[in-house]
Amino acid sequence: MINFDNSATTFPKPAAVKKALLTAVTRYGGNPGRSGHKLSIDTAEAVFKARSAAAEFLGAEPDNTVFAQNCTHALNMALKGTAEKGCHIIISSLEHNAVARPVHALCKQGVCTYSVAEVNCDDGRTVENFRRLITPQTKIIACTLGSNVTGQIIPFTKIAKLCRENGICFIADGAQACGVIPIKLSDGINILCTAGHKALYGPAGTGLLVTDGKYKISPIMEGGTGSLSMELDQPDFLPDGLESGTINTCGAIALGAGISFVKKLGIDKIYCHENKLCKKFISAIEPLKNITVYRDKRVKNYLPVVSFNINGISANETAGRLSDMGFALRGGLHCSGLAHISIGTVPDGTVRFSPSVFNTESEVDALIYAVKTITEKTYADTCCNRY
Amino acid sequence: MLSGIVNAMKRYTITFSSITIAMKAQSVFRSEGIRTEIIRTPRNLASGCGYSLVYDGDLETAMYILENRGIKFKSVMENII
Repeated sequence: MINFDNSATTFPKPAAVKKALLTAVTRYGGNPGRSGHKLSIDTAEAVFKARSAAAEFLGAEPDNTVFAQNCTHALNMALKGTAEKGCHIIISSLEHNAVARPVHALCKQGVCTYSVAEVNCDDGRTVENFRRLITPQTKIIACTLGSNVTGQIIPFTKIAKLCRENGICFIADGAQACGVIPIKLSDGINILCTAGHKALYGPAGTGLLVTDGKYKISPIMEGGTGSLSMELDQPDFLPDGLESGTINTCGAIALGAGISFVKKLGIDKIYCHENKLCKKFISAIEPLKNITVYRDKRVKNYLPVVSFNINGISANETAGRLSDMGFALRGGLHCSGLAHISIGTVPDGTVRFSPSVFNTESEVDALIYAVKTITEKTYADTCCNRY
Repeated sequence: MLSGIVNAMKRYTITFSSITIAMKAQSVFRSEGIRTEIIRTPRNLASGCGYSLVYDGDLETAMYILENRGIKFKSVMENII
């Protein structure tokens, strides 16, 4: 099976990640931050090393770097931990449900109101759409850095500036962007959430929340942290305040190895490779009859993610046929209903091509051949049915 | 004998609220070429859980390094080795 569904989770993983996981399972068996014996301290040191790697990679301090289960978990902590009663939140029209659902839930609970800013092909207009929605009650702008459906990169440094000028907390969903384009807190992001298992090449069950510490994040879960144990109040310092219960030590250690892999290879090199594969794929399928590629030539920057459809068959049917031919691509709505409303692909969604650094040009050639085969067959079937 | 006591190396136990902050402090000390050891905070220094760094050397230097990096500690206990 050739995996082109790396936006969901990257596979295969680098050898260094496999090795780190094995080492973690076999050597780092203590509970970090809970005991003073060597096993616990050694494990804590390995976790701290991974935490420091993540912090350095995203421009945060290690103690402001929180391990989460995934990006959705991190975003829930960020959104629910910063939203105050009566506040107004702005999200974008390309949001994944990891942002849209927690914000909608907060609204239903009467905590906040929210507005959706339309993402335009022109960055200036997008920023203006956010600016127009700001009210005196707007306390949070939460948006993706790049769409998991279309790949469009949001003008996040300009949105960050808008937030700074208006005293608004900027929460960024970096699930698709971190590891593919350079992202740091110094871009003006107050709280950055990302997945560990996507472009950072860590195992599933890992995510990160990093913060510049400007906005207090109240915990959505309390419990044992290995610190201030005689107090019933949750610690108000990070990472303990947001890391109740034993963390995924093996996942965190392996995620550290994934980040080191990305850093060693270089984000520019990774982006270049994946973008080249996307361009090859688009230029081969776009001219075909009955194919729609959801890219707008007026958009300046895209992540290496391509959505397309073969007209006449549903996205899931196309993905199913490609699976039968040995290719893993995701079809459907990609947990991003808002984004599909924006590009007019409701209810069937799209088929998504998302390469990783491990995919090759010859694998893309094979996929192109498969897509052509399905397209030709669909076209022939349509003609037969017509006559 | 007398000079031995006067020049005695001082050992300090610096307590921190969490393992992460203790390790961050250890990492900063390491970058300054200072070796420290992490221990569970002794009961006489804190009522709850926590971790400490055992540091041999000049306290002023240690305090300067921690302050410079914005690392908060809870308390310091002095011992003579």
